[in-house]
Amino acid sequence: MSADPLAYAASALSGPLLLVLAAFACLLLPLFVKQLRGAQGLIALGAVLVAIAFFKRAPEAELAFFDEALLLSPLTAYLWAFALAVLALVIALSISRRAAPEESQGEYYFLLLMAALGLMVLVAAGDLFTAFIALELLSLPVYALAGIRRSKPGLEAAYKYFMLGAFGSGMTVMGIAILNALYPALTFTALKTGPAQPLALAGFLLVISGFAFKTALVPFHMWVPDAYEGAPTQVSTLLAAAVKAGGVVVLWRLFSLFDGGPVHKIFWWLAAITAVSANLMALGQKGLKRLLAYSSVAHAGYLAVAFFGGRRGFEAVLYYLPVYAMATIGAFSVALLLEKDEKGPLIEDLAGLARARPWLAGAMSAFMFSLAGVPPLAGFFAKFYAFAGAVNGGYTGLVVIAIIMSAVSIYYYLKVTVVMYMKPPANGRTAEAPGLLEAVIFLMAAGVLLAGLFSRPLLACAAEASRWF
Amino acid sequence: MDFITNPLSLLILLPAAAGLALLAVPPEKEEALKGLALAATLLTFLVSLKLYAGFDPAQAAMQFPLNKLWLPSFGINYFLGIDGISLLLIMLTTLLMPVAVLASFNYIKESRRAYYVCLLFLEASMIGVFAALDLFVFYLFWEGMLIPMYFLIGIWGGPRRVYAALKFFIYTMAGSVLMLVAILWVAAAHHAATGSWTFSLPALYGTVLTARAQFWLYAAFALAFAVKVPLFPFHTWLPDAHVEAPTAGSVLLAGLLLKMGIYGYIRLAVPLFPAAARQFAPWLAGLGVAGIIYGSLVAWSQRDMKKMVAYSSVAHLGTVMLGIMVFEPAAVAGAVLQLVHHGLSTGALFLLVGLLYERRHTRMIDDYGGLAKVMPAFSAVFMVVTLSSVGLPGLNGFIGEVLVLFGSFRVYPWLAGAAVAGVILSAVYMLGMYQQVIFGPLRHTENKVLPDLSLREWLYLAPLLVFIALIGVWPNPFLRRAMPAVNGYISLSRQNTAPAPVEVKIALGGEEER
Repeated sequence: MSADPLAYAASALSGPLLLVLAAFACLLLPLFVKQLRGAQGLIALGAVLVAIAFFKRAPEAELAFFDEALLLSPLTAYLWAFALAVLALVIALSISRRAAPEESQGEYYFLLLMAALGLMVLVAAGDLFTAFIALELLSLPVYALAGIRRSKPGLEAAYKYFMLGAFGSGMTVMGIAILNALYPALTFTALKTGPAQPLALAGFLLVISGFAFKTALVPFHMWVPDAYEGAPTQVSTLLAAAVKAGGVVVLWRLFSLFDGGPVHKIFWWLAAITAVSANLMALGQKGLKRLLAYSSVAHAGYLAVAFFGGRRGFEAVLYYLPVYAMATIGAFSVALLLEKDEKGPLIEDLAGLARARPWLAGAMSAFMFSLAGVPPLAGFFAKFYAFAGAVNGGYTGLVVIAIIMSAVSIYYYLKVTVVMYMKPPANGRTAEAPGLLEAVIFLMAAGVLLAGLFSRPLLACAAEASRWF
Repeated sequence: MDFITNPLSLLILLPAAAGLALLAVPPEKEEALKGLALAATLLTFLVSLKLYAGFDPAQAAMQFPLNKLWLPSFGINYFLGIDGISLLLIMLTTLLMPVAVLASFNYIKESRRAYYVCLLFLEASMIGVFAALDLFVFYLFWEGMLIPMYFLIGIWGGPRRVYAALKFFIYTMAGSVLMLVAILWVAAAHHAATGSWTFSLPALYGTVLTARAQFWLYAAFALAFAVKVPLFPFHTWLPDAHVEAPTAGSVLLAGLLLKMGIYGYIRLAVPLFPAAARQFAPWLAGLGVAGIIYGSLVAWSQRDMKKMVAYSSVAHLGTVMLGIMVFEPAAVAGAVLQLVHHGLSTGALFLLVGLLYERRHTRMIDDYGGLAKVMPAFSAVFMVVTLSSVGLPGLNGFIGEVLVLFGSFRVYPWLAGAAVAGVILSAVYMLGMYQQVIFGPLRHTENKVLPDLSLREWLYLAPLLVFIALIGVWPNPFLRRAMPAVNGYISLSRQNTAPAPVEVKIALGGEEER
């Protein structure tokens, strides 16, 4: 491996560039080469796999580019690897079940790759401006993706998501404008050392609420259930696994600008309210995708609890993100497998799954138990690490709230297993030949089963990455 | 490979590996599934015999230790080791498992593979609970046990199985999440005091905590264990779970799972927070006695045999609770024996009720009567087990009960006196039930053709009967092994780990230490 930082930067940045090339290839090539129509998914998947294959271990240093607009460090590398992996899985899901109509395939993959590019820039952003631009690069394609079917639920999802998302972006921009007026530079390092001012607090709060929209913290979560339900399931997967991760990372950067004070107090309340209300609202859900949406909101709350553990807490967050992503991608894939209409299956549609397809039901229970945080599944380890940091930081009260609510969450996760194992099947289920979708599901199930008991390697990567913050 | 050569670790890995291996067997090969499950549990029992043989009764320290780095950044180790109390409970587990498997051969008719896999995973996690010396590992097994048990009740249980399974899972999980916070708190306190992260129990014993902190931490642990024991008034999940679970599930619930709660007090809650434990002890002992009276009275009024046995468990565990909360050697030793007794005799009672249910598909006392004539062997076995359950001298129930009462009388004479009432009550309802089922006229014609015990049924009842008689007349080998652990528990409970009320602040170079 070359020790030259520029050489590393060139190779690291070639990953996102490859995504851009592939995005345009997906959009334009089939217009000229008829044989490529319908193969856009394979182009995109190929590009992402190449990017993963040439992924390099980052040198132990933080490299700043373009006036600290872009930071390359082991942390960036960790999050990029995560983003590429999620992208590859979402593309695999989109290949196995088509998310967009035939004629929109090119646009679909173009938007997907662009969104992934936005996520990669977002997590590497070193200043607020870059973060905002990356946020828009991430959000705009996803608004379109949510409504790409042009059907009623899809358009409703896209419209709600866009309206509220635009509102959130507006708040972010307003906040950045205030901060820009007060501080000479908007890089995170400069903001950390900047003097505290009352007006700056208002600016920070606006920026934080903008990113809280993306992360889906209560009360900025209103778009989540409708968007997750109405969007194609493949896009919901992207929303839950990747978009949230981007928001969480930026929120952490903003959180760690402060040592206590009102901002931390607000995070305290955001975390507590999110954990409490999301879990209560999830209790009555009937649709599987809606359930997973509220579960995603609840997990954003647990992640916010982990912030209070300091650097150790961030290490936990970095471990939590892939573990949560595996369980939620797996669960959405099961929803995709069983869906008959756009809104996805109801929970009761899973009845008798254990009889008809025992392995599939086993995998789904693994996802549910992992999301609920029952040992020995990985979700338990993630919650343990997240809460360990916060308790050590002296925030036992917050952890008590979060953990009691996570006990409440058991009820709705168990409901899914009850339906699968203890209810007779509603109608005859035909066994299908296993395909790519099943491969994704069982890969995720294996991950959820093993990433906990053997969490040392992943945790070590997370620890190394968290040091480069 | 220490994971294999250490018998404790082997005892955990063997059933877990067998469970995974079972998944590879095609589900329609019933005989192979049954045979493999039985072989795996018997093999585990043989390994545990080696444990028993190698156990040094004189030694007070933890034996067969295995300490492997697992998650070093959090100081979590795969740390196992046992003393006499854990030894007895592990032996009880490995003894009851083949019995449970054998008892399920005809009872379980659908999804057999998943059933035996659940049983084997359950065995692994129960042994793990009794062998763990690291708080994290303990919690992992403690909660991990819920998943197989939940499926056992929910899939193969009775008519109200879904309700019972959900109630069981949510009650126990809700009870123990606060324990997780307490575990994190203790580890953080230890980290603050010493600068190193550890979840190892021996290292955490004696951690100095303020009385106030101990109070809340102990309350969190005590709640988790009280739900599991179950201590009155946290017992409401138990009748549902026991009644709806399949026979083997009830045997394991009563025989082993309930022991985990008591074991938690002995191994974790009391030694970690002795000051708070002493403060809480009268209340917990009082709740134990309330459980004895309440459980006995409710059991008395039951017409369903399985429900009666379930409520009698509440009463028996109340006695055990009284025993461990008086911190007297005789009472604690009696409580440990009583644990083993309850595992054997209540397990056997559930098996016998299950046996009747398999024949007649009813558990109502009124549907039976006069069975002595048609099922003489069954009646004899039932007699022995009933008498053992009510504590007849010469059988295993007597010695533990007497030791608990003697030991606690010196500390809480009134509570011990009230507990005696429970003993009398238990004789009333158990013998009453026995009389109505076995003696009297043969009122129902269906009962005339009931077959007596089959060879398979003899096979699984015999080991329980042997130990019921053996512990009754010759408890010494078991007591001798438990005594060092009992004394260790008592000396840990007398430690003073709460600092004096006024904390002294030390100024170091002008900087005040927090």
